[in-house]
Amino acid sequence: MEVVQCANYAILLAFKGVFELMGFKKLLTKKMEFSASHRYWNEDWSEEKNLSVFGKSAGPYGHGHNYNLEVTVEGEVDAETGMIINLVELKSVMAEVLVDFDHKHLNKDNPHFKDLVPTTENIARVLWDLLEEKLQGNPKCSLYRVRLYETQDLYVDYWRK
Amino acid sequence: MKIKEYVSLTKTYRFSAGHRLYIKSLSDEDNFKIFDTCSNPNGHGHDYAIQVQLYGEIDPETGMIYSLQELDNIMSPVIDELDHKRLDIEVPYFENAQPTGENIASYIWNKIKPSLNDKLIHIKLSETSKSYFEYYEEDNYPYEC
Repeated sequence: MEVVQCANYAILLAFKGVFELMGFKKLLTKKMEFSASHRYWNEDWSEEKNLSVFGKSAGPYGHGHNYNLEVTVEGEVDAETGMIINLVELKSVMAEVLVDFDHKHLNKDNPHFKDLVPTTENIARVLWDLLEEKLQGNPKCSLYRVRLYETQDLYVDYWRK
Repeated sequence: MKIKEYVSLTKTYRFSAGHRLYIKSLSDEDNFKIFDTCSNPNGHGHDYAIQVQLYGEIDPETGMIYSLQELDNIMSPVIDELDHKRLDIEVPYFENAQPTGENIASYIWNKIKPSLNDKLIHIKLSETSKSYFEYYEEDNYPYEC
């Protein structure tokens, strides 16, 4: 009888351990800065409509920002390395993605914005797509959220699930 | 399971204002027991930052979930009423409500909610770099808390 109780207790403890691990969300966030210029302009609209909707952001030569990108990934902590993802790997993934953004005029130099207004929302969405694709090679973690600061007073969060 | 897209935009507005926390019927001494230095009879002030968080779908034509110009137009009179004012003396609402962070946050929420409707999901009022107040509807908040 006692043996059975002990065994039951062990099973209970094992379940408790699993549930405790399942109950925790583990996130890791890395930041990276890039500078880019852009212009808010919809080719399908008249100049008048572009100016009235986008105001100063429709200036013909564009203007720039120092963007700050925060990439958050979720996953399990590897028992051996103690990491969700190696920060060196995440850093290189982000750096590779940002090559086409840093010190570029987004409308002119980045093909993603050929027919897409490079608003903070759209940049965040494009960055999510590019980062998700690159992180697919790592089965241990997944993209959780992209936060993109256009200035210190304006940011967009983007995620899919 | 269908994958859903979530997009929010947060813009910060700033104002500086003075206030005094006190209960009119109590003595300065008793007010000090409750509100400590915040009840200083001559008042004191803070640089406030209000972060307004909007949520919605990206409009395919504008690329935005909400027009930033329109948001500025909604926020401008609200900020102007508070900026460089002594809240409990110069802003009528706070003559009868303590000008605490909690009350300022809910006051701003109620002022802007009718214009922004369901787009408005969260506000965060920072009084100093070390204290902030949040106000939102739990049922209309897409973040995991």
